[in-house]
Amino acid sequence: MVFEDIYQDYWNKVFRICMGYVNDADWAKDIAQETFIIIWKQLPNFRSESAVGTWIYRIASNNCLRQIERQNRMPTTELSEQIEYKPDPDKEWQSKLLYKCIAELPETDRIIISLELEDVKQAEIAKITGLSESNVRVKVFRIKEKLTQKFKQYEQ
Amino acid sequence: MSNNIDFKELWNREKANAPDISEIFAKADQLNRKTRNKIWRGNILLSLTVAVMIFIWWYYQPQLITTKIGVTLVIIAIVVFLATTNQMFPLLAKTNVETDSQHFLAQMIRVKQKQDFLNKTMLTGYFILLSLGVFLYMIEYAGRGSLAFQLTAYGITFAWMAFNWFYIRTKSIKKQQNAINDIISRLEGVNKQLLD
Repeated sequence: MVFEDIYQDYWNKVFRICMGYVNDADWAKDIAQETFIIIWKQLPNFRSESAVGTWIYRIASNNCLRQIERQNRMPTTELSEQIEYKPDPDKEWQSKLLYKCIAELPETDRIIISLELEDVKQAEIAKITGLSESNVRVKVFRIKEKLTQKFKQYEQ
Repeated sequence: MSNNIDFKELWNREKANAPDISEIFAKADQLNRKTRNKIWRGNILLSLTVAVMIFIWWYYQPQLITTKIGVTLVIIAIVVFLATTNQMFPLLAKTNVETDSQHFLAQMIRVKQKQDFLNKTMLTGYFILLSLGVFLYMIEYAGRGSLAFQLTAYGITFAWMAFNWFYIRTKSIKKQQNAINDIISRLEGVNKQLLD
């Protein structure tokens, strides 16, 4: 497995997960970069016992959780400000709103829903978080409900 | 309406251009250098302290064994202090990021608890060794003066040590402990989210 390929394939996925966790583009980029540094260092030791995706997501989510140690930085609950011209401004705003809503959830919920939205299978999410599969299913359902509610509130 | 929000589509809209891969390597390099510098700084400080102590030993040619023991104790105290603050923590804090979140959080909590324990023990040990060392070191030189001189010298030294022990030591232990406890309770809170 070549690091360069992993980097190309996973950069956006890892970045989005970090973004869901902190809702701050610069901070998310930092965490994503730290994640890839670890991946680069550990890749020679990686044995394909688990899927490479699971392995990468584990490192990414643990790196997000590690932010708890940093006392002074809290996830921003502001709408992300980098506004560029996009063909569909309405959708763009909704997308920013989604990230804002996710970053307001409890820490582990942020990770679970981010993985779910990233199309990671629930069995894999279970392996990443250490929860049982049925537990993940229940949690995903509940988080989605919570998210929809939040989203509606802000939309009004 | 909102029940049909396509979260996945909105989620995938967020894209950041992957920074050039060389940025990753540069950052890794920078991190390595930082750690190396830190270890160097620690080592230089250590060597300097030991050098100063050896110089005192050699220059003043102490006659009594108490002075020699005193100097040795002070050296040990400083070495222990510098070694723990500079080099051991990164080793202790080594965590396995490749495990699942639940284990990772538990691991982080354990590391923090260990750090808390070390802080307390090391600081206490440091102050005991240092005070004892200074006390022994003084015997030879204070003994050469008059009784009044001896009383003043010991009086001031003890007052200073008591101040360190009761005020500075307690305060710094408390300060570190508060910071660590705060992180531990946040980690425990997050860990609990998984169990709910």
